[in-house]
Parts: sequence; C-alpha cells; structure tokens
Amino acid sequence: MAPTRRDVMRLGGFAAAAAMLPAGAAADTNGVAGAIAAFTKGARALEAGVSLDVPEIADNGGAVPVRVAAEGARHIALFADANPNPGVAVFSFGRLTPPEATIRIRLARSQNVIAVAEMADGTFRKASRQVSVTVGGCG
Amino acid sequence: MAKSTPRVKFPKSVEANTPFTVRTKITHPMHTGLRRDRDGKPIPRWIVNSFTVRFNGEEALSVALEPAVSSDPYIRFELSLPESGLLEFEWRDDDGSIYSLSREVAVK
Repeated sequence: MAPTRRDVMRLGGFAAAAAMLPAGAAADTNGVAGAIAAFTKGARALEAGVSLDVPEIADNGGAVPVRVAAEGARHIALFADANPNPGVAVFSFGRLTPPEATIRIRLARSQNVIAVAEMADGTFRKASRQVSVTVGGCG
Repeated sequence: MAKSTPRVKFPKSVEANTPFTVRTKITHPMHTGLRRDRDGKPIPRWIVNSFTVRFNGEEALSVALEPAVSSDPYIRFELSLPESGLLEFEWRDDDGSIYSLSREVAVK
C-alpha cells in the first residue's frame, strides 16, 4: 500500500520529536546504557558518593584529564556516551590504594562522561559530567 | 614497531601508611582501530589493554584500558604502604608484549 499523506506527516512528526530531545536525555547512540548495565549486572546505581572531575570545556578531545574518586569503592568504571564505543577504563583498587585515580581519555565530541563505582558492599554509585569538546579526539 | 617506554614517578621519601601520589606513563600510540591511514586502509587496533601495580606480590591496582584512553596512557593514583618492599608495574600490550618496571621502596 502506498503511504498516504497522513502516514508521511505522522512519520515526520516522530522524526521532529526525536530531533528535539535534549542532548543529555538518554540519547543512547553507542550502547552506553547496556555497557553500564553489564558492569552493574543490572543493578541500579545511586547518584551519590562519586566525585568526578572533568573540565567543562576540553580544547583537545584527544587527551581529557578525568579524576574519579569514590570512598569505599572496589571498582570504578568510566564510560563516555557519544564515543564510538562506550567503555573507557575500569579501575580495581586493593587494600593499599584509596579508590581514587586520574587518567587521560579521548572524547570524539561533546558528551557526558559517566563514572560508576562498585562499592565494597556490592551496591553501585554513579556520577556524570558533561564535557564540551572543541576538537574531537577519536578516529 | 617502536618500543614502548614506561615511566613511573613518586616521592623519594615515603612514610608508612601515608598515601602518596604515583604518576605513571607509557609511550604507546593506542590505535583505536577506527582510523585509516593515508591510503584509506584501516589501521588495526593496537593498544595497551591492562595496567597492574603490585606491592610485594599483592595486587594494589589494576586498570583495564579501552581504545578511548589517550595515546601514551597516563595514570595517576594514590598508594599507601605498610612497610618497605618491592613495587612492580606492568603494562600489557595487545601484541602480547609485557612492559614492566620495578622499584624498591624504603618507607620511614
């Protein structure tokens, strides 16, 4: 059946609505939600207890310094929600290392950096920061 | 292939059970596998995929790295040691190479 004018208009409406979604609102383009769920084994992560320091504006997306700390964490995973792949790094801390680390990462364009911490009691915490990238850092 | 050079820096004098900052870096291109060379051929993924720190054989820190880590991976962390001993740093490359460094640390 050929699409009627009404069908076409309806499709257009969906497209327009999708385009108007704010950038920060779960525009899951690279599978970041699935990657986080795999790390937390589906558990919800409470938005508290993780300190994430990222520059608001990064001139060079090829090397963006990220500092993350979460008192009582065993593991901390970093994700980026608009890179070609969502995973960035996973830190595992032992008895001798307070759960805190700094690393330089690549951001292909402006996006959110997300840190998810697995606490010693098996619960998860997270924090997220938006970074504006002037020159992208991925191939 | 250029050989990777690891570097580690921390204070000359450290006190027992007091955290100090350790800065580590290894020279490495960290090819993402997404780029193409001048002739348009894909450059295969080639990264350092893991970093581990051990103290007297006990794992103190391990990091799994993805291609989203910058070239010449730089990692800074805090460490607190209960006694003097041997610190070992190890980087594992996709190509199977293992780069390592070790340092004797005398705590006060």
